[in-house]
Amino acid sequence: MTSAGGVLPGETPPRRRLRLGWFAFLAPLLFLLVVFFVIPLIDLLSVSFAPFTGGPRGEAGEFTLANYAKILGDPFYLQMMWNSVQLGVYSTVFALLIGYAVAFYLSRTSGWERTLISVACILPIFVNVIVGILGWYILLLPFGVFQQALTALGLIDGPLRWLRSFWALVAVLTWEHLPFAILILVSSLQHVPADKIAAARIAGASNFQILRTVLLPLTMPGIVASAILVFSLSVSSYLVPILIAGPRAQVIPLSIFSFASELLNWPMASALAFLLLIVVAVITYAFIALTNRLTRRGEWEMV
Amino acid sequence: MLALRIFVYLVVALMAAPVLISLPVALTSAGIIRFPPEGLSLQWFLATFQDELLVQSILRSFVLALTAAIAAVAISLPCAFAIERGRLYGQTAMETLIIGPKMIPQIVLVLALLVYFEKLGLAETFLGLVVAHLIITIPFAFRTVLVSVTSLDKRLEWSSAILGAGPSRTFAEVIAPQLKTGMIAAFIFTFILSFNNVTMALFLSSIGERTLPVEMFQRMYVGGMTPAIPAISFMLALAGVVLFVALDRTVGVFKFLGGGK
Repeated sequence: MTSAGGVLPGETPPRRRLRLGWFAFLAPLLFLLVVFFVIPLIDLLSVSFAPFTGGPRGEAGEFTLANYAKILGDPFYLQMMWNSVQLGVYSTVFALLIGYAVAFYLSRTSGWERTLISVACILPIFVNVIVGILGWYILLLPFGVFQQALTALGLIDGPLRWLRSFWALVAVLTWEHLPFAILILVSSLQHVPADKIAAARIAGASNFQILRTVLLPLTMPGIVASAILVFSLSVSSYLVPILIAGPRAQVIPLSIFSFASELLNWPMASALAFLLLIVVAVITYAFIALTNRLTRRGEWEMV
Repeated sequence: MLALRIFVYLVVALMAAPVLISLPVALTSAGIIRFPPEGLSLQWFLATFQDELLVQSILRSFVLALTAAIAAVAISLPCAFAIERGRLYGQTAMETLIIGPKMIPQIVLVLALLVYFEKLGLAETFLGLVVAHLIITIPFAFRTVLVSVTSLDKRLEWSSAILGAGPSRTFAEVIAPQLKTGMIAAFIFTFILSFNNVTMALFLSSIGERTLPVEMFQRMYVGGMTPAIPAISFMLALAGVVLFVALDRTVGVFKFLGGGK
């Protein structure tokens, strides 16, 4: 903590000045984050405890738990929260299963094949999500591409009703967030030493045994990190539900948006936002605790 | 292995399909979005550039992303040095704070900024939008810059110092060249994230000053949807592929983005 080791030999001014120098390096970013990240969140928390009396911010200076009580006491909002959590869980499971297979394959290929697969699978990060949603819309629409293809194959008969469904939401959310899982999992799989796999193979392990006893435990931090990320992104997605499922989709982010922008009731919007935050945090924490216990390793690389 | 290969290519097809489908749909000569298209023409690609609202929103998004990316990288670089070399008190806390904006659901963050900006008078201003984009891109810019600061070869700096170069000369002639690729990667990544972000601008930009993704959202959700939207979608996807391949061939996408979002 006190050593100045690692600093250039050419510049070894007194330790104290050095510290201040480093803080000057940090200051702009810390200032920005405190003023435009920490304080807004605290402000939002205080708004969530204000009674709503017509003005968007609610009654300043007053404290009430009414907003939270209203949400927690209303089965409508609880169902909405449950819908959001389900969406998050399903898209996380699919993104991890698909992502792991793709990442495993990617870590064993090179050249043009690697480029082709990674371009296709990372593309959703490189275009805005509206592009993808529009594409899925055209594919899933009644009389759209999927329906025509399935009808031509003789698999279905009559219009396809996928567009407004729960599973369409899961599919598009998985599509949108798969790249993040793949990015983390590839770098995680690349750090598995090749000689460990070779050793397992020499010892006679089958592919499945290698996956279960070598790869999965060694890439657990990556799996946990990508699961947390995909879950958080999917639960809080606003655009996919509103465009794929429509404005009446019952998920929390839509309700937050409607309270904030249409009803101008910020106390309710912020209470919903903080409940969403708490639910995400609790599920994340439970997941980390569970995987810790399963693999008996104490440290995760929490990126 | 063959089964895995087939599965992977199926995934590739499904990942690419929604992006590729915009091409045939946009090539229509009719005014509606339908597959297969009725007749072939490039008119909707041309129409994109004659649509003043679209062109303005493209320019606005470009300026916004450029500003946010330059600022995010510039502000992250000294910070990455301080975190990597400084051995400061409260380092873990600072790192947590820096990656904070990406840990928190964006819908929560944008609501916080909306409420806060309204109080400060920054709501519906371009400056407010820049600040919001800066906040959400900093974790990624920082992470990417940190990768290259961590991989600096210290022996080169020692050699430079031994040979009599001062700190500023060492920085300019020894450190900066090593950081160049990492900085470019961080800039491109941050630019892409900012250019493609919809949620922030949807809440924070004023009705008359939409960014490109918000303009696309409005036309899809509210109305005014023509094949010009798939046309611009396809062009954006093409630009995305070009950027990706360029980034992958020069610095390696997985090396720099491996930290994830």
